[in-house]
Amino acid sequence: MSRPFPYSYISCPCADTPIPDPAKKRRSKESSQKATPERTDATDDAATPKQEDNQDEGDSDEEQTFDPRSLRSNFSLYPPEQLLYCEDCHQIKCPRCITEEIVSWYCPNCLFETPSSMVKSDGNRCGRNCFNCPVCTAPLAVSTIENVTGNGSQQGPWVLSCGYCMWTTLDIGIKFDKPTNIRSQLQKMTDSTASPAYDARSRQGSRAFGDLKSPLSTLISAEGQPSAPNDNENGNGNGSEEQTKEDSTDVAPANTDARFAALKTFYRNQISETSNSPNDPLSEFGFSSPGALNRLMSLYASSSRLSGLYGGNKKAKSKPPVMREALTASEGLRVTPAGEEAAIIERLASPEGGWDSIASLEQRAQQSPDVRFVDELLPLPVLLRTKRAKRCKSCKHILVKPETKPQSTRFRIRLIALSYIPLPTLRPLALPAPSSFTSGTVTQTPDLDSLPPLRPVHVLLTLKNHMFDPVRITLATPSVTPGRVASKVTILSPQFEIGANSDVWDEALAGASAPVGDSRLTGVRTAEKVPEAGKVWDKGRNWTTVVLEVIPGTLPGSEADTTNAGNEDAGDEGAVTLKEDEDVLEIPVFVHMEWDAEAQLEQQNVGKASKPDDLVARELAYWMVLGVGKIQAAL
Amino acid sequence: MPPKAAKSEYIETDTGNKISRRSQIHGTQHIILGGKTVIQAEAVIRGDLYRLHSTAVSTDPNNPPQQPNAPSVAITVGRYSYISKSVILRPPSRLHRGVHSFYPLKIGDHVFVGESAVVEAASLGNHVHVGAGATIGSMAIVKDFSVVLEGAVVPPGMVVPSWCVVGGRPARIVGEVGEGYGVEGAEGGLARERYRLVGRP
Repeated sequence: MSRPFPYSYISCPCADTPIPDPAKKRRSKESSQKATPERTDATDDAATPKQEDNQDEGDSDEEQTFDPRSLRSNFSLYPPEQLLYCEDCHQIKCPRCITEEIVSWYCPNCLFETPSSMVKSDGNRCGRNCFNCPVCTAPLAVSTIENVTGNGSQQGPWVLSCGYCMWTTLDIGIKFDKPTNIRSQLQKMTDSTASPAYDARSRQGSRAFGDLKSPLSTLISAEGQPSAPNDNENGNGNGSEEQTKEDSTDVAPANTDARFAALKTFYRNQISETSNSPNDPLSEFGFSSPGALNRLMSLYASSSRLSGLYGGNKKAKSKPPVMREALTASEGLRVTPAGEEAAIIERLASPEGGWDSIASLEQRAQQSPDVRFVDELLPLPVLLRTKRAKRCKSCKHILVKPETKPQSTRFRIRLIALSYIPLPTLRPLALPAPSSFTSGTVTQTPDLDSLPPLRPVHVLLTLKNHMFDPVRITLATPSVTPGRVASKVTILSPQFEIGANSDVWDEALAGASAPVGDSRLTGVRTAEKVPEAGKVWDKGRNWTTVVLEVIPGTLPGSEADTTNAGNEDAGDEGAVTLKEDEDVLEIPVFVHMEWDAEAQLEQQNVGKASKPDDLVARELAYWMVLGVGKIQAAL
Repeated sequence: MPPKAAKSEYIETDTGNKISRRSQIHGTQHIILGGKTVIQAEAVIRGDLYRLHSTAVSTDPNNPPQQPNAPSVAITVGRYSYISKSVILRPPSRLHRGVHSFYPLKIGDHVFVGESAVVEAASLGNHVHVGAGATIGSMAIVKDFSVVLEGAVVPPGMVVPSWCVVGGRPARIVGEVGEGYGVEGAEGGLARERYRLVGRP
């Protein structure tokens, strides 16, 4: 999702964390230089005197300038609204430096919450009436067949129909008796219609629905009954559970669901039979349990030469029992019928089949592996979505906690970065028409999608403070943007203060600032106002606007480049081809903010530090990238 | 002021709605604008497709009964919502008991509908962003703080949950917006500023 110009991204410092070594950081802090953008420890910084005022420009040159074009910055630049802020670490947190935990599951279609106990058994899908079209993934609607003809009766068979591609369950020959609880109806139908039919293909197709639910649900049901394996251990051969499954599905478990269950029970038996220790709890935990590992290890240890090395007493042991594979259909074995594939090929090639009847790869990916044709596709119950709480990865504090209810858009906790760092907004300054033959009303807003090179553009950067304390801001930018297209950037007033986000009424009662707010938005006063170095452009209750003067560089290989011989870009004539997005003018800006926070917000600092003041100086520094526009190739 | 207003492109109502003179609004008595709504040129708003009273409908659907006492609302648009150029707002409809009837279209506050989008949804929540050229099918429900990407086709009857980004044809959920979405001044919270800039030279 690329954004239109102008945009601003903020770099999360976490991208730099692998690089710095703590010693260097300490040194830089003690020399009271500006803290590296990756971390500002507030307690340390509070003690250091603030001297970086006038050396910002130099500092950011000495230290590594953020390059918005470097590959690494792809992983650290985020739109401001995506970022969170941890009040304990005093740090911006991006989606990479948080952990998530699920608060609730809900169906995105019916917006009902699914209790966590049901999620697994439902296979992470909605257990109600919500289905997606197997052909095009659009949601399916429950509708009647009967009342289309005009009589008002709501009785009659119901179908699921897709409003996007007009697929209905009639296409696969399924109707429902009730408009409710479609999923269980479908479940029953796909199981029962599979009674030994003539067509093996369609049977599998229709049974494939069980697969949507199968692996997890059978896991649950099998694990819920630990007695079943014990029965088998007694030499019954087939577990009772397995038996019933086979009874219901007649001869052999043709249903993938049942087959999976049969295989699972079979292997469970095998493990319990072949395991060395009699009271092995293996069957309860499955193959990946430590017990299984133990079994494997002992298997190899006793059979290999290594046993000789580690004590030969294991040699005396008898040959370990060997697991066998499933042999009969009742154990879950499925022998592919001889003519099955031939029949499929025949159907693929037949004139009534053809391309349109074959399910696409995307469609098949959602279905049972046996499905090959469109008429075997079954409606897909809607996958559940989650609401998630977010925690800081380093201090485990909760940053975001949404309300549990799926419908609610509110949060119990929401520490977003926007409430702490000033919100940057960028806007081109509409200059009066240079010819000035018109009156002052006609102004020229530069077209950001094609900025002429080497012609200065003024951009207004507004920083809006959302904190309740006034903030002192220092901006720094490399005088020339990194990369081959060297645009010159000057922040006309790099140091300024933003007022506190106080009560709106204060402003209203003060009265005077309302027209100022207007001018910020429209630039009406530009006629009498000229950008001036060292002066803040405009100021309001909790925002300040400064002017950036940008002289877009020339693109390599463009006309402007050849005319301007003095440009340093003219040196590398070899690389005249423009790389992707090289014409996008992005300005890295280092933001350093400091403010006095009230100390009771962090008692632990007051407790341990020797600063009983009620105000604690805080600072935060980060890089942001301002996307100003695109440089046009020619003058 | 009045002569200047007559010349300008937008008609500004008492409640601050800015409505382009070149928009096509049908059935104005069935449309409610919440105030500070912007309707740009060439937008088509079909307030004439209002719901007929069900009792009358079931007897004779072809003949609209005269019930002027309670004009049913076809389209509601909330505050600071922005209807871009060439947008079509059309109340959703469906066949119910064999009768084709219209249902009201509700658009919440701070909604942005991009250029030449077609909206036939049952409701768009607050802070919804509909990209340019998107189509929202009949009876779809787009919940608060969700984004419909450009050119997406939201199929009829789809529900887009809050904080979700949908895109594609047919639209699927492709992502989520950040928690800060909709904060005043940030992405999703620019409606006031957008409103202020309308009609300025």
